[in-house]
Amino acid sequence: MNYVIEAQGMTKRYKSTVAVDNIDLQIPAGRIVGLIGPNGAGKTSALKAILGLATYEGELSVLGKCPSKDRAALMEDVCFIADVAVLPRWIRVWQLIELTEKIHSKFSREKCLQYLSKTKVTPEHRVKQLSKGMVAQLHLAIVMSIDVKLLVLDEPTLGLDILFRKEFYTNLLNDYFDEERTILITTHQVEEIEHILSDLIFIQDGHIALDSSMDDVQERYAELMVAPDMAAAARELQPMNERELFGRHIFLFQDANRTQLKELGEVRTPSVADLFVAIMNGGKS
Amino acid sequence: MNRLTALIKREFWENKGAFRTTPLVIGGLMLAAILMALITFNHFDNEFQSLKELLRFIAQQDVDLRAKVVYWGNLQVSEIFSSVLAFVVFFYLLGSLYDDRKDRSILFWKSLPASDTLTIGSKLLSAMIVAPFIFWVVYVLTHIVIMLLFSVVVMVLGENPWTLFLSLGSPFKAWSMVLLSYFAQSIWALPLYGWLMLVSAFAPRIPLLFAILPPVILGVLELWVDFLKTFTLSDNLFGLFGHWFANSPLILSGDEHDGKFEAALGIPITSDFDHRVTVANIFDRLFSTDMLIGLAIAAVFLGAALWLRRRATES
Repeated sequence: MNYVIEAQGMTKRYKSTVAVDNIDLQIPAGRIVGLIGPNGAGKTSALKAILGLATYEGELSVLGKCPSKDRAALMEDVCFIADVAVLPRWIRVWQLIELTEKIHSKFSREKCLQYLSKTKVTPEHRVKQLSKGMVAQLHLAIVMSIDVKLLVLDEPTLGLDILFRKEFYTNLLNDYFDEERTILITTHQVEEIEHILSDLIFIQDGHIALDSSMDDVQERYAELMVAPDMAAAARELQPMNERELFGRHIFLFQDANRTQLKELGEVRTPSVADLFVAIMNGGKS
Repeated sequence: MNRLTALIKREFWENKGAFRTTPLVIGGLMLAAILMALITFNHFDNEFQSLKELLRFIAQQDVDLRAKVVYWGNLQVSEIFSSVLAFVVFFYLLGSLYDDRKDRSILFWKSLPASDTLTIGSKLLSAMIVAPFIFWVVYVLTHIVIMLLFSVVVMVLGENPWTLFLSLGSPFKAWSMVLLSYFAQSIWALPLYGWLMLVSAFAPRIPLLFAILPPVILGVLELWVDFLKTFTLSDNLFGLFGHWFANSPLILSGDEHDGKFEAALGIPITSDFDHRVTVANIFDRLFSTDMLIGLAIAAVFLGAALWLRRRATES
């Protein structure tokens, strides 16, 4: 099987700290992968290595290329939004479109203008005249008009209001994503992306704490909500995590027997956010 | 090639103010100043009572002398363009690999399939060719307007502009010499350009400081050590800069230097000191051992700038 991203023993060291510690990773095509971790867990370091923006140790291959050596060639098939509002401030929208068209052979001007026609961004605008949300729309319009195999989004919606964020992901899913493409997203706003993800990777202290498809996650993890009198019985089944909400006890189980759980209370699939908290707080994976 | 032209276009767009507006403003100011001078000439207290008398006087002078003065004047029009161009290129290069690191837009540029070598190349070519060429075009246009203006005035005052100055001093020669000196300057200044790009790729902030302080500190130290050793002040880094500066093709376009300026910089004026604007003089300097050493230094600086640029997104 050909993987879009394949890493073996990938390590990124800064002077005194190890940001990414010997991780193995295999991401096939046609996936939307959420890379989720607390601040300083090594997400950005890993993404930078994948995008050829930083050096690393170990084996790493992205679309069959070595990112640290072939960044320019790799960027023919990879797009990324590293941060919203990092488009050059002096540039006009039409200049940005013309530049991208000349430099990127797989860019479609028609598509880009079509996306932009749905926004308030006009070709004569300078980036510095645009609001943060409009810059994000512009950047996304450009990126979605490039026919690449891998799209990497690092906190693409940071600082945007909820309307923009919703629209951003809707556009991404409806107009862009297909079987051939792979999207890798990191974000802190896990709730907003969990329904679009096909795979989930948790990263903690440079290690991978969870690497699983969403289907697997739904199968393997269960959340149980019980009244206080049943809490002790639930604890006996060795939950990963316990919390209290409005006087009710909520437990998170891994590989538990669902019929057994149902006898104690209400069972449902945990949200990615709750799963994240449970695993980050020392749960086994 | 397509990518390179796109990247050069990008440099022009970003630096339109410096590359295009600046020479246009200089040309405009020059024309305004000349116009004002013409209008107020009669009010000046000078030995010629009127412009008409001055023109008569000029017309009576020897043709060879007139031709020489006119040629000198034709070159002189370029002087202000040349000196401002030097400043524009200096600050352009100083910001070339710094500005996008500072505002983080480097991440966008790196997301395009253009290699760092191509990026640095586009910036260097903008400094070496694009900016000088635009300045030259505006110089020529300004010069043409000045000649038209003078012709009209001369005609109105009853003299023939063609025999008075238009047919003399060959403006085409002056234009070609200035263009040649600009491009020769781009090669001559490569060590400096390389240094500026290196600083631009390296400086965590205030690139100007990083560009100027190290050579100055080095030069002062060298002066001091030399002085302790030999009690003379010869042959030091500053002398080298002075020599480089005095020999730069851009300075050459000032024409007919008598060496006073170089003498003030402490550069020995030898009998073969020749700073006239001739093709031979310019090529002499470009095909010299000094230039070869300069190119080697430039290559080291540019290589280091490229190395740093590749790693600019590390942290």
